[in-house]
Amino acid sequence: MVLVALVAEGETLPRPGREALSLARTLVDGGAPGPVVAAVTGPGAVQAGGEAFALGADRVLAVPGREATADRKLLVDDLLAAWEQAGGQEGLILCPGDEAGRELAPRLAFRLGAGVASEVVRVRWEGGRVLAERPAYGGKAVATVALPGPVGVVQVKDRAFEAASPEPGRTGQVEELPAAAGPERLRVVEEVREEAGGVPLEEAPVVVAGGRGLGGPEPFQEELAELARLLGGAVGASLAAVDAGWVPPALQVGQTGKSVAPELYLAVGISGASQHLAGITGAKHVVAINKDREAPIFRRAELGVVGDWREIVPALIDAVRALRS
Amino acid sequence: MHVVVCIKQILDPEIPPREFQVDPQTKRAVRGRASLVISPFDLNALEVAVQLKERAGGRVTVVSLGGEETPEALRRALAMGADEAVWIRDGALEATDASGTARCLAAAIAKLDEPDLVLFGRQAGDWDQGLVGPMVAEALGWPLVTNVFQTRGENSPLELLQQAEGGYRVVAATLPAAATITNHEANVARLPKVREIMLANRKPITQWSLGDLGLAADEVAPRVVVEALAVPVPEGHCTFIEGETAQEKAQNLARALRELKVI
Amino acid sequence: MDPMATPTREVFWNIEHTWLVYVLLYPTAIAFVYGLGRRVEGWFMGKPQIRWDRPWLRLKLFLRDGLAQAQVLRERRAGLAHLAFSWGFLVLTLATVAVFLQHDLGIPILSGNFYLYFQSLVVDLFGFAAIIGVVYVLYQRYVVRPPRLTHGVFSDGVLLVGFLVALIQGYVVEGLRIVATQDPWGIWSPVGYATGQLLVALGVRELPLQLALHRFFWWTHLVTAFAGNAYLPYSKAMHLLVAPLSLFFRELEPAGRLRPMEIEGAERLGVKALSDFTWKDLLDLDACTECGRCQEVCPAHAVGKPLNPKTFILDLQRQMAGLAREEVTPAVRPALAPGVQVAAATLAEDAALEIVGHSIDPEVIWSCTTCNACVEVCPVEIEHVAKIIDLRRYQVMEEAAIDETPQQALQGLEDRAHPFRGTQASRADWYQDLPYVKTLAETGPVDYLYWVGCAVALNERTQRTARALARILHAAGIDFAVLGEEEVCTGDPARRMGNEYLFELLARQNIDTLQRSQVTRIITTCPHCYNTLKNEYGALGGLFQVVHHTELIEELLAQGRLPLKGPVDRSPITLHDPCYLGRYNGVYQAPRQLVDALGERVEMERSRARSFCCGAGGGRYFMDDRPGQRVNVERSRQALATGAPTVATACPFCTLMLEDGVRTAAREAGREAPEVKDLAELVAEALDEEALAAGWPPEEAGGRRA
Repeated sequence: MVLVALVAEGETLPRPGREALSLARTLVDGGAPGPVVAAVTGPGAVQAGGEAFALGADRVLAVPGREATADRKLLVDDLLAAWEQAGGQEGLILCPGDEAGRELAPRLAFRLGAGVASEVVRVRWEGGRVLAERPAYGGKAVATVALPGPVGVVQVKDRAFEAASPEPGRTGQVEELPAAAGPERLRVVEEVREEAGGVPLEEAPVVVAGGRGLGGPEPFQEELAELARLLGGAVGASLAAVDAGWVPPALQVGQTGKSVAPELYLAVGISGASQHLAGITGAKHVVAINKDREAPIFRRAELGVVGDWREIVPALIDAVRALRS
Repeated sequence: MHVVVCIKQILDPEIPPREFQVDPQTKRAVRGRASLVISPFDLNALEVAVQLKERAGGRVTVVSLGGEETPEALRRALAMGADEAVWIRDGALEATDASGTARCLAAAIAKLDEPDLVLFGRQAGDWDQGLVGPMVAEALGWPLVTNVFQTRGENSPLELLQQAEGGYRVVAATLPAAATITNHEANVARLPKVREIMLANRKPITQWSLGDLGLAADEVAPRVVVEALAVPVPEGHCTFIEGETAQEKAQNLARALRELKVI
Repeated sequence: MDPMATPTREVFWNIEHTWLVYVLLYPTAIAFVYGLGRRVEGWFMGKPQIRWDRPWLRLKLFLRDGLAQAQVLRERRAGLAHLAFSWGFLVLTLATVAVFLQHDLGIPILSGNFYLYFQSLVVDLFGFAAIIGVVYVLYQRYVVRPPRLTHGVFSDGVLLVGFLVALIQGYVVEGLRIVATQDPWGIWSPVGYATGQLLVALGVRELPLQLALHRFFWWTHLVTAFAGNAYLPYSKAMHLLVAPLSLFFRELEPAGRLRPMEIEGAERLGVKALSDFTWKDLLDLDACTECGRCQEVCPAHAVGKPLNPKTFILDLQRQMAGLAREEVTPAVRPALAPGVQVAAATLAEDAALEIVGHSIDPEVIWSCTTCNACVEVCPVEIEHVAKIIDLRRYQVMEEAAIDETPQQALQGLEDRAHPFRGTQASRADWYQDLPYVKTLAETGPVDYLYWVGCAVALNERTQRTARALARILHAAGIDFAVLGEEEVCTGDPARRMGNEYLFELLARQNIDTLQRSQVTRIITTCPHCYNTLKNEYGALGGLFQVVHHTELIEELLAQGRLPLKGPVDRSPITLHDPCYLGRYNGVYQAPRQLVDALGERVEMERSRARSFCCGAGGGRYFMDDRPGQRVNVERSRQALATGAPTVATACPFCTLMLEDGVRTAAREAGREAPEVKDLAELVAEALDEEALAAGWPPEEAGGRRA
């Protein structure tokens, strides 16, 4: 059995959840023991669970009675009940690459005494066991871990796997379970929005990112922002730029920052530390502008320009404008 | 308020890539000349704890599980403002994993004097797993708030500021509770005062073995096996855009981007 | 009168009620002694420090800079004016002492040659020189008004005008006496004589009028002079008494050797309050002449940062004088009339008050690049930089109050023994493909250890400097090796940022490594490493012969061991003097000789001892600059002004700072940016590789590679 542990706050399955479901289907189709079970809790469990069939689930267990909660300990109880219901002896649990998945995977594993691999970028079913690949040491190394016990938990990295398109023909009956009881000890008392509009970094089709080479905070607000606006994208930054205090941590792309998977990732004055490259594994096209031809970023980039960004970026803005007019 | 901070001493994450090597036998990173440091997010957690203590009173206990150089990390934490330090030290822990670590930490926390809040770094700067915090919360049966960067208030329910997409949310937690801490300008780790460093060198560090924690060796046996740890070879297929001037290079780049259909 | 009579004059001629002089003297003396006492009392709040070793050297330097005013005279015209009126004042004071000796002690010295040559002629001429000096100074202060002289506009005016008035009154009194007594020796006081003749010409012909006017001016001259003396310890004229002391008790250690400090067992680390300074530091505050030369040369001040070395000293002086306290803590000030007792109590309060955040803004002490230009230019040997470092020491070590970016650098030093956070380089990167660069571990003892330095080894740009130097050393057949990964930061940035504890840790580690490897001679590319290894490790037991690469290359060129192809293409070359090489260690000539060997040299307006810092020293490299306040851009503008296409440096920090700065400066000026290169790079490019390949030096020119 491959059980995908999902939380649906709204009435549709969030993208990370769909990615995990698609991976479960691929694994089972590739020889891992089935079936694919989607366990869904949260206010939108039934509706969102209904979608799971089309995305590859053979069976859907939903816990409809669960109100939105910040206390994920309660969600663990719901999902464990579903695991029991689905057989609960052996198999693999997949958790998505969102906040909930990152907390639930270790909690579930601990309760089940299972091995767990987090932020996984590749999964293989091989010789009767699961092998998971994940970056370690800030992307300087790749670890392959095996989960030897009867139960294993894998939490997949955001955007590391592609979500399949729904198969309209696949439907089924959602089985409902009662929500587990227990006191709620966390309560959201306030939500504060800080960023002022623009395309969110994670969703942007184009990311224009700057690093230490930019030398100060101004270029992020000026040249980079202008180029990003022109290309319909967002501005990102490397850890070095965040550490220097030039941009807020929310813009950081990398192992400890955000993972992005844009069509175009334009790295300006970024040397390309593995820490940073770990955040752009999903980028389709990486283009780098750097004054040092030996910079590691050029080993990841598809296109490179060696030169002073102070000259190249304004010229690129002009060139793009000229090309479009 | 009694705040416990769990810290991990790791191989300096800023070790230059050229110096980073892996031992294929043990499947671990080779230490070489690199120093050991407190995992960066754990420093943020320490800062949050010390700020909370300064505001609400009480004390901070720092706990770490690790090898012979762990006291260095604990001493730094003491210099930053922690009041007591616990070193979980046992030969049987050499090969343990996140779940074994979590079991030890949970047992240590249960043994401490009624902690109100336990803080962890969001993820360790070596393996970036982010597993131990949630596992300890699960072991203790406590709620956990992830990606917290600051606290507000002085008593239970304590307000924890949690990073969220496009802003943050304030979560009121009935204590005892646990939280994982992420970096933010509000929790940049302070520089220890030299006087505190000197004092910290004289403070005692409590040592607990597995036996002290009431755990048996098989309880901390690893649940995962590292099959391989490899240093990836960079691909390297970059096409350099040439040109006499910056303008020419930029124009050639714009054309190449158009061919890729990304602009 | 008898022409053979002994030349003299009558003291108190035409003056009655001379007892009034003594009545007036008492309040004057009390005011003077009280004022002086408060100052001296302030200095005694300071910590002990021995500043009377090497007394003959001290005396020699005192005579040079105190009496002959060599340092004051470095600024020609203002210096001469100062020399004139200070010597005038001194001589007039001696004349008054002579009167006192004769009249009150009964020693008959006001007669004969002494009277004629000194008391009449010399005194008269010096007084006149003083008038010219004062008038020039008044003109400077109130007509020309350079920005450095904008402090104490009113109080200085009172002093100068008072002095001028007293001088004129003196001549009027003397002139009237000469005219009225028909003094046969009157001509020996030419200015006084002329004044008398002038007054007669103006209509003062009648004897009674002359006598009456003489009495009037005599008394007003006395009152002016007494008032001046009473006011002296409360004014900047106090420097006339204190500057000689600060000159005598000056720092004799090399400028690059920061004062050592005790850490273990120290009651307080660094300086929090005035009483934590040494007595000499506090004496410095009163020695300040407010001449503003430090302000004029300070790079931080030049770009609009909050540091002004002059106001830094004067703000501390205000706190010591109790003025700052009045503004802040009126409640603690006793309501009763002030007395000596009360003053002492309040002085103690001032002494204990925290300086930073009270009389000195934290940004002031963090703006300093420790370039030492202020100390170098100060005519009275005030030690600004040492005070700033002492204040930083307290802020960093006791309060941990430091901005995030420099804190990261300190953290980096602690965690990985270099301050360059996030560098991708390792110390061995730059010589991976250079077969002739080996580590000491591989070679065993060598003639020279090449101390690379973090700023060189860990930056892509400056690695080129190391490669160039290695090429040169190899070409000249020098037996050298590097420490490789064993090298750690010398601790200079930690020390200059105030973390003495960290400095000592790093220094001890290095000294241990160097001694274990039996290193005696060291070449450095970084002047900061150079200074620390050469001047500062000695105090911790590490004594090495240290040579900067420019010195060694210059020697090799002079010995004909390096064949050059001829002038470089991008000549002329302008040279930027790194502070820690030039001002701190006096190495000005070697880099110039290298430039001259490479092409035409054009000097920037500020060079050598007046060189303008690149902005990186004192840990500033690791701190953020506000827009428009970048020292490197200002220095780059100065470099650009020479029109030279090449800017030569001899320091990796300068290279990094200026390479960045010239881009901005060139864009502003709408010009092409000059190339910034270390002299080692320029020499390596100019090496005649063909000659080297053919064997250099040629056999007949004397053997090679001993």
